[in-house]
Amino acid sequence: MKLPRKKLTASVPAFAMGDIGFLLLIFFVILARAQDDSHIQWQPAKLADIKMAAAPLASVAIDSGFKVYLDGKEISPDELASSLSSVLGDTPAGQRNVFLKVHKEAKASHFEPVIAAISEAGGDLVHILEPEETSPTR
Amino acid sequence: MKLKRGKMLIDPPASASSDIAFILIIFFLVCAAVQPETGLAQVLPKTEEKKEQQEQSKNIEVSITPTSIVLNGSPLQLPEFTLRLNAALQKKTRDTDRVVVVKSAPNTPYPIWIRVSQVIEQAGGILTLELESKRTITVE
Repeated sequence: MKLPRKKLTASVPAFAMGDIGFLLLIFFVILARAQDDSHIQWQPAKLADIKMAAAPLASVAIDSGFKVYLDGKEISPDELASSLSSVLGDTPAGQRNVFLKVHKEAKASHFEPVIAAISEAGGDLVHILEPEETSPTR
Repeated sequence: MKLKRGKMLIDPPASASSDIAFILIIFFLVCAAVQPETGLAQVLPKTEEKKEQQEQSKNIEVSITPTSIVLNGSPLQLPEFTLRLNAALQKKTRDTDRVVVVKSAPNTPYPIWIRVSQVIEQAGGILTLELESKRTITVE
Protein backbone atom coordinates (compact mmCIF):
# COMPACT_ATOMS: atom_id res chain seq x y z
CA MET A 1 0.00 0.00 0.00
CA LYS A 2 1.34 3.37 -1.00
CA LEU A 3 1.08 6.20 1.44
CA PRO A 4 0.57 9.60 -0.17
CA ARG A 5 3.42 11.97 0.69
CA LYS A 6 2.41 15.34 1.92
CA LYS A 7 3.57 18.16 -0.31
CA LEU A 8 5.77 20.62 1.58
CA THR A 9 5.92 23.97 -0.08
CA ALA A 10 8.35 26.62 1.15
CA SER A 11 7.42 30.07 -0.05
CA VAL A 12 9.38 33.25 0.52
CA PRO A 13 7.21 35.75 2.34
CA ALA A 14 6.36 38.42 -0.21
CA PHE A 15 6.12 41.21 2.36
CA ALA A 16 9.88 40.90 3.04
CA MET A 17 10.81 41.71 -0.56
CA GLY A 18 10.92 45.46 0.12
CA ASP A 19 13.31 44.96 3.04
CA ILE A 20 15.54 42.65 1.00
CA GLY A 21 15.68 45.21 -1.82
CA PHE A 22 16.45 47.98 0.68
CA LEU A 23 19.37 46.06 2.22
CA LEU A 24 20.77 45.16 -1.19
CA LEU A 25 20.62 48.80 -2.21
CA ILE A 26 22.45 49.91 0.95
CA PHE A 27 25.12 47.30 0.19
CA PHE A 28 25.66 48.56 -3.36
CA VAL A 29 25.61 52.20 -2.25
CA ILE A 30 28.39 51.51 0.27
CA LEU A 31 30.32 49.59 -2.38
CA ALA A 32 30.04 52.47 -4.84
CA ARG A 33 31.05 55.01 -2.18
CA ALA A 34 34.30 53.12 -1.59
CA GLN A 35 35.32 53.83 -5.20
CA ASP A 36 34.54 57.52 -5.41
CA ASP A 37 36.10 60.50 -3.70
CA SER A 38 33.08 62.00 -2.01
CA HIS A 39 34.56 61.20 1.40
CA ILE A 40 37.45 63.62 0.80
CA GLN A 41 37.18 66.84 2.78
CA TRP A 42 37.84 69.79 0.51
CA GLN A 43 36.35 73.13 -0.44
CA PRO A 44 36.59 74.38 -4.02
CA ALA A 45 37.96 77.79 -4.92
CA LYS A 46 35.54 80.21 -6.56
CA LEU A 47 36.00 81.59 -10.05
CA ALA A 48 33.83 83.45 -12.53
CA ASP A 49 33.22 82.33 -16.13
CA ILE A 50 33.66 78.60 -15.67
CA LYS A 51 32.04 75.87 -17.73
CA MET A 52 30.42 72.50 -17.12
CA ALA A 53 33.04 69.78 -16.97
CA ALA A 54 32.80 66.61 -19.06
CA ALA A 55 32.96 63.16 -17.45
CA PRO A 56 36.42 62.31 -16.11
CA LEU A 57 38.53 59.17 -16.47
CA ALA A 58 40.26 59.90 -13.18
CA SER A 59 39.91 62.28 -10.30
CA VAL A 60 42.81 63.75 -8.35
CA ALA A 61 42.11 65.63 -5.14
CA ILE A 62 44.06 67.62 -2.58
CA ASP A 63 42.13 67.69 0.68
CA SER A 64 42.07 70.14 3.58
CA GLY A 65 45.05 68.34 5.09
CA PHE A 66 46.90 68.76 1.75
CA LYS A 67 47.03 65.01 1.15
CA VAL A 68 46.83 63.83 -2.46
CA TYR A 69 44.22 61.29 -3.60
CA LEU A 70 43.76 59.46 -6.88
CA ASP A 71 40.18 58.21 -7.33
CA GLY A 72 39.60 58.46 -3.61
CA LYS A 73 42.75 56.61 -2.54
CA GLU A 74 45.63 58.42 -0.88
CA ILE A 75 48.79 58.50 -2.97
CA SER A 76 52.14 60.26 -2.81
CA PRO A 77 52.73 62.95 -5.47
CA ASP A 78 55.82 61.01 -6.64
CA GLU A 79 53.72 57.96 -7.51
CA LEU A 80 50.87 59.93 -9.03
CA ALA A 81 52.21 60.19 -12.61
CA SER A 82 52.77 56.44 -13.02
CA SER A 83 49.46 55.49 -11.39
CA LEU A 84 47.59 58.03 -13.48
CA SER A 85 49.25 56.74 -16.67
CA SER A 86 47.97 53.25 -15.96
CA VAL A 87 44.46 54.59 -15.27
CA LEU A 88 44.39 56.63 -18.49
CA GLY A 89 45.89 53.81 -20.56
CA ASP A 90 45.70 54.31 -24.32
CA THR A 91 42.69 56.59 -24.26
CA PRO A 92 42.98 59.08 -27.14
CA ALA A 93 43.76 62.72 -26.44
CA GLY A 94 40.68 64.82 -25.80
CA GLN A 95 39.08 62.03 -23.79
CA ARG A 96 41.73 61.82 -21.07
CA ASN A 97 39.91 64.15 -18.70
CA VAL A 98 41.39 64.29 -15.22
CA PHE A 99 39.49 66.27 -12.60
CA LEU A 100 41.72 68.19 -10.20
CA LYS A 101 39.99 69.13 -6.97
CA VAL A 102 42.23 71.40 -4.94
CA HIS A 103 41.23 72.62 -1.50
CA LYS A 104 41.03 76.42 -1.62
CA GLU A 105 43.66 76.85 1.10
CA ALA A 106 46.29 74.78 -0.72
CA LYS A 107 49.53 76.50 -1.69
CA ALA A 108 51.62 76.26 -4.86
CA SER A 109 53.99 73.84 -3.13
CA HIS A 110 51.04 71.43 -2.78
CA PHE A 111 49.29 71.70 -6.15
CA GLU A 112 52.12 72.41 -8.62
CA PRO A 113 53.75 68.94 -8.28
CA VAL A 114 50.29 67.43 -8.80
CA ILE A 115 49.73 69.48 -11.98
CA ALA A 116 53.20 68.38 -13.14
CA ALA A 117 52.27 64.73 -12.53
CA ILE A 118 49.00 65.08 -14.49
CA SER A 119 50.94 66.73 -17.29
CA GLU A 120 53.51 63.92 -17.25
CA ALA A 121 50.74 61.32 -17.52
CA GLY A 122 49.27 63.21 -20.51
CA GLY A 123 45.98 63.97 -18.82
CA ASP A 124 43.57 66.67 -19.95
CA LEU A 125 43.45 68.77 -16.82
CA VAL A 126 40.14 70.16 -15.57
CA HIS A 127 40.27 72.29 -12.42
CA ILE A 128 37.05 71.71 -10.49
CA LEU A 129 35.83 75.05 -9.15
CA GLU A 130 32.73 76.67 -7.80
CA PRO A 131 31.06 79.40 -9.88
CA GLU A 132 31.59 82.80 -8.31
CA GLU A 133 28.35 84.54 -7.42
CA THR A 134 28.18 87.92 -9.07
CA SER A 135 26.49 90.59 -6.98
CA PRO A 136 23.18 91.74 -8.51
CA THR A 137 23.31 95.16 -10.13
CA ARG A 138 20.76 97.67 -8.93
CA MET B 1 -24.08 71.53 22.97
CA LYS B 2 -20.92 70.12 21.54
CA LEU B 3 -21.06 67.03 19.45
CA LYS B 4 -18.21 64.61 19.75
CA ARG B 5 -16.54 63.96 16.45
CA GLY B 6 -15.63 60.40 15.82
CA LYS B 7 -11.92 59.64 15.38
CA MET B 8 -11.00 59.28 11.73
CA LEU B 9 -7.30 58.46 11.99
CA ILE B 10 -6.00 56.36 9.16
CA ASP B 11 -2.62 54.71 9.67
CA PRO B 12 -0.55 54.18 6.55
CA PRO B 13 0.11 50.50 6.02
CA ALA B 14 3.40 49.65 7.78
CA SER B 15 4.28 47.09 5.11
CA ALA B 16 4.69 49.92 2.56
CA SER B 17 7.29 51.86 4.57
CA SER B 18 10.23 49.87 3.20
CA ASP B 19 9.01 50.45 -0.35
CA ILE B 20 8.74 54.18 0.37
CA ALA B 21 12.32 54.18 1.71
CA PHE B 22 13.46 52.29 -1.38
CA ILE B 23 11.92 54.85 -3.72
CA LEU B 24 13.38 57.71 -1.66
CA ILE B 25 16.88 56.23 -1.89
CA ILE B 26 16.54 55.81 -5.65
CA PHE B 27 15.47 59.46 -5.86
CA PHE B 28 18.46 60.74 -3.86
CA LEU B 29 20.89 58.49 -5.74
CA VAL B 30 19.71 59.84 -9.07
CA CYS B 31 19.93 63.41 -7.73
CA ALA B 32 23.50 62.83 -6.54
CA ALA B 33 24.56 61.16 -9.80
CA VAL B 34 23.38 63.97 -12.05
CA GLN B 35 24.87 66.79 -9.96
CA PRO B 36 27.02 68.64 -12.52
CA GLU B 37 30.56 69.79 -11.81
CA THR B 38 31.96 73.03 -13.09
CA GLY B 39 35.55 73.78 -13.84
CA LEU B 40 38.30 75.29 -15.91
CA ALA B 41 39.85 73.02 -18.53
CA GLN B 42 43.54 73.18 -19.38
CA VAL B 43 45.16 71.05 -22.05
CA LEU B 44 48.48 69.82 -20.77
CA PRO B 45 51.09 68.43 -23.12
CA LYS B 46 53.58 66.08 -21.52
CA THR B 47 56.07 67.61 -19.11
CA GLU B 48 59.41 68.40 -20.67
CA GLU B 49 62.63 69.94 -19.47
CA LYS B 50 63.39 73.34 -20.91
CA LYS B 51 66.18 73.27 -23.45
CA GLU B 52 66.69 76.77 -24.72
CA GLN B 53 67.32 79.19 -21.91
CA GLN B 54 67.70 82.13 -24.33
CA GLU B 55 64.31 81.53 -25.93
CA GLN B 56 62.69 81.36 -22.49
CA SER B 57 64.03 84.76 -21.55
CA LYS B 58 62.20 86.37 -24.53
CA ASN B 59 58.82 85.15 -23.26
CA ILE B 60 56.51 87.07 -21.00
CA GLU B 61 57.36 86.19 -17.41
CA VAL B 62 54.86 86.22 -14.57
CA SER B 63 55.77 85.67 -10.94
CA ILE B 64 52.93 85.07 -8.51
CA THR B 65 53.25 85.75 -4.80
CA PRO B 66 50.49 85.81 -2.16
CA THR B 67 50.37 89.62 -2.31
CA SER B 68 51.24 90.57 -5.87
CA ILE B 69 51.63 89.54 -9.47
CA VAL B 70 54.89 90.50 -11.13
CA LEU B 71 54.74 90.92 -14.92
CA ASN B 72 58.19 91.16 -16.51
CA GLY B 73 59.57 92.63 -13.29
CA SER B 74 56.70 95.06 -12.57
CA PRO B 75 54.56 94.26 -9.52
CA LEU B 76 50.86 94.71 -10.33
CA GLN B 77 47.40 93.98 -8.98
CA LEU B 78 45.06 91.71 -10.94
CA PRO B 79 43.03 94.36 -12.87
CA GLU B 80 46.17 96.16 -14.06
CA PHE B 81 47.88 92.86 -14.78
CA THR B 82 44.94 91.87 -17.01
CA LEU B 83 45.20 95.08 -19.02
CA ARG B 84 48.98 94.94 -19.38
CA LEU B 85 48.98 91.27 -20.36
CA ASN B 86 46.25 91.76 -22.95
CA ALA B 87 48.23 94.65 -24.44
CA ALA B 88 51.43 92.62 -24.49
CA LEU B 89 49.82 89.57 -26.13
CA GLN B 90 47.87 91.53 -28.72
CA LYS B 91 51.08 92.34 -30.56
CA LYS B 92 52.13 88.70 -30.76
CA THR B 93 50.79 86.51 -33.52
CA ARG B 94 52.97 83.39 -33.42
CA ASP B 95 52.19 80.65 -30.87
CA THR B 96 55.82 80.53 -29.74
CA ASP B 97 55.67 84.22 -28.82
CA ARG B 98 52.48 83.78 -26.80
CA VAL B 99 54.13 81.58 -24.20
CA VAL B 100 53.74 83.01 -20.70
CA VAL B 101 56.16 81.56 -18.17
CA VAL B 102 54.59 81.44 -14.72
CA LYS B 103 56.66 81.01 -11.58
CA SER B 104 54.82 80.82 -8.29
CA ALA B 105 56.14 81.37 -4.79
CA PRO B 106 55.70 78.16 -2.76
CA ASN B 107 53.14 79.85 -0.50
CA THR B 108 50.96 81.17 -3.34
CA PRO B 109 47.32 80.31 -2.56
CA TYR B 110 45.39 78.28 -5.14
CA PRO B 111 42.59 80.88 -5.65
CA ILE B 112 45.14 83.53 -6.72
CA TRP B 113 46.99 81.09 -8.95
CA ILE B 114 43.83 79.94 -10.72
CA ARG B 115 42.70 83.56 -11.30
CA VAL B 116 46.02 84.45 -12.91
CA SER B 117 45.91 81.26 -14.96
CA GLN B 118 42.42 82.16 -16.21
CA VAL B 119 43.52 85.71 -17.13
CA ILE B 120 46.46 84.34 -19.15
CA GLU B 121 44.22 81.87 -20.95
CA GLN B 122 41.56 84.49 -21.71
CA ALA B 123 44.24 86.84 -23.05
CA GLY B 124 45.30 84.12 -25.48
CA GLY B 125 48.55 83.24 -23.73
CA ILE B 126 50.03 79.75 -23.52
CA LEU B 127 50.63 79.10 -19.85
CA THR B 128 53.91 77.45 -18.98
CA LEU B 129 54.80 76.57 -15.43
CA GLU B 130 58.32 76.92 -14.21
CA LEU B 131 58.79 74.60 -11.27
CA GLU B 132 61.48 74.51 -8.64
CA SER B 133 62.64 71.14 -9.96
CA LYS B 134 63.66 72.78 -13.25
CA ARG B 135 60.76 71.18 -15.10
CA THR B 136 58.61 73.10 -17.54
CA ILE B 137 54.99 72.34 -18.29
CA THR B 138 53.17 73.95 -21.16
CA VAL B 139 49.50 74.64 -20.60
CA GLU B 140 47.52 75.63 -23.68
